[in-house]
Amino acid sequence: MRRLSLSSRLALLFAACTAVVSLFAGVLFNRASEAHFIELDQQLLEGKLIGLRRSLQDIQSSTSEVKLADELSRQADLYLRITGSDGQRWYDSSAHLPETLALTPGLSTLKGDRTDYRVLNAPLYPDKPDSPQLTLLLDITHHQHFLQRMQHLIWLTVGLSALATALLGAWAARSGLRPLRRMSAVARGVSAQSLNARLPEENMPPELAEMAHHFNAMLGRLDDSFQRLSAFSADIAHELRTPLSNLLTHTQVTLTRPRPIEDYREALHSNLEELQWMAQLVNDMLYLAKADHGLLMPSREPLNLADEVDVLLEFFAPLADDSHVTVSREGTARMVGDRSMLRRALSNLLDNALRFTAVDGEVRVRITDQPQGLSLTIENTGDEVSEALLPRLFDRFYRADPARQEGSSEHAGLGLAITRSIIRAHGGQIWCESEKGLTRFVIELPRGD
Amino acid sequence: MKLLIVEDQLKTGHYLRQGLTEAGFNTELVADGSTGQQLALSGDYALLILDVMLPGRDGWQILQAVRGAGLDTPVLFLTARDAVEDRVHGLELGADDYLVKPFAFSELLARVRSLLRRGSAPPQDTSLQLADLRLDLIRRRVERSGQRIDLTAKEFALLEMLLRRQGEVLPKSLIASQVWDMNFDSDTNVIEVAIRRLRLKVDDEFPNKLIHTVRGMGYVLEERPA
Repeated sequence: MRRLSLSSRLALLFAACTAVVSLFAGVLFNRASEAHFIELDQQLLEGKLIGLRRSLQDIQSSTSEVKLADELSRQADLYLRITGSDGQRWYDSSAHLPETLALTPGLSTLKGDRTDYRVLNAPLYPDKPDSPQLTLLLDITHHQHFLQRMQHLIWLTVGLSALATALLGAWAARSGLRPLRRMSAVARGVSAQSLNARLPEENMPPELAEMAHHFNAMLGRLDDSFQRLSAFSADIAHELRTPLSNLLTHTQVTLTRPRPIEDYREALHSNLEELQWMAQLVNDMLYLAKADHGLLMPSREPLNLADEVDVLLEFFAPLADDSHVTVSREGTARMVGDRSMLRRALSNLLDNALRFTAVDGEVRVRITDQPQGLSLTIENTGDEVSEALLPRLFDRFYRADPARQEGSSEHAGLGLAITRSIIRAHGGQIWCESEKGLTRFVIELPRGD
Repeated sequence: MKLLIVEDQLKTGHYLRQGLTEAGFNTELVADGSTGQQLALSGDYALLILDVMLPGRDGWQILQAVRGAGLDTPVLFLTARDAVEDRVHGLELGADDYLVKPFAFSELLARVRSLLRRGSAPPQDTSLQLADLRLDLIRRRVERSGQRIDLTAKEFALLEMLLRRQGEVLPKSLIASQVWDMNFDSDTNVIEVAIRRLRLKVDDEFPNKLIHTVRGMGYVLEERPA
């Protein structure tokens, strides 16, 4: 079943609220009027009771009857019944009075067939135990009619106001929800080509502003990923174009005329180099693509970082010795992570550090075990990286030297991007600082246990 | 020693067969999974090289059939897909090794040799020798023409590997993995430098060079006619 629209839901809720409120008010008013009538009737009846008692001081005297008639005639809708202490009916002021009347003392209401009465029972002589009973009856039919009319009016008001608020509510909800429609219009317009559409956050109602903000943030992230993906594809194509073009040209030129066997061998070797470079590039790209899709799932094995770093330093020792660079490690920490992935990440950093350390320089690895996690810094002496380039170091295909020199075994520029992916897959972060002739890569990792 | 290659990509299959045959293996190539499985089940082969995606029966099904028949022929998988689950799946089914395309032929050859060697007990050598180069495994000493050569521990391990697999072209990745336990693609030139430093000690002072670079493929230790 299709759910009710928000507007109709709100309109119905408004209507229900109004109905409940007006019904409540009506009932309250009705009760109050009724109580007020009762109070008035009681005052009136009690006033009459005093007069009647006085008039009936001596029921045997003939004047008393005259006085009684007098007393009663002053109030046309008032009737009197006198009942003896033996239950015998002594007197009825009208022939139409109901036959049976409860003789409970005090005020009560009697609903008759045609007429409603307010009834007050009281002893004629309050001091005597076997006094005859006076019953005063006040015709209150017109009160009851009024109250009934009131009730009808209340129901009518409830109905009409509910209807009116439903209509007004529907209108209000529609106009109140306009920002939502604006949102959906923007959402409808979003496609891969137009990820830059944004909702205006400033003239949004506060309830929606947050949602609009998140919506925009989502669009921003999508835009960012998409841009990066496009740039990535463009980069791949660009990076592959040079070696492909070399392969094509070299192969075609080699084949244009017969050559000594040595030349063919040379051509194949040259092609092999390009191909290996391309294979490495494709493998690295796939690795990064996996990382992007969250498919880089580090295994969890307990590691001693100091041991891992030492193994790597031993691996790089020939390279360091060669350029008279001193390598050292201090500190230790234990963590849980993927040995092979972390080795790869650190080896990229060490390789990078060694490449940019001047002869007779130094590469220092420092491991610090902190309460909130551990940090590892790899620091090398040498030319500083300019401030503007620092955040771009981890970009794919970023190279300090923009033009890859042909034939050189220059790296594809994916090493640091891969390192960052691995660190992130371990829930850590990495950044680079460079000042006073020192370049320092800082890694922060959770201990992972 | 007979090898079976099941690979539906004709070009790949052809070059694999040529390469392995030239490396001295008796190699048979089939292009479809069903025939591949029949042959594999015959038990005549020392090693199976299976592509994962095959017409008929895929590489995994063949592997299952082979293991199901109680054969423990080593199996090397080739695949263009590199999903972790694939790798785990293959290894769970009892594959012995796994190579992701694109791979270097020298890498394949080295792994094939490793797999074939696996079954046989490692030789309990006390020393290794090639020409006038001698490596004493017990005293951890290296001599050439009776002249003592001082090597670092890693240089010793590197030379030992070259000597044990003399005549084989060892790709850099294999050297990094075996000597330094670095099991990842790395474009660093550490191995080149390490080999150069080893040469400096082992080869430079002697007229007949033993460590050779096979351009684009790796390094080999062998005696070549001058």
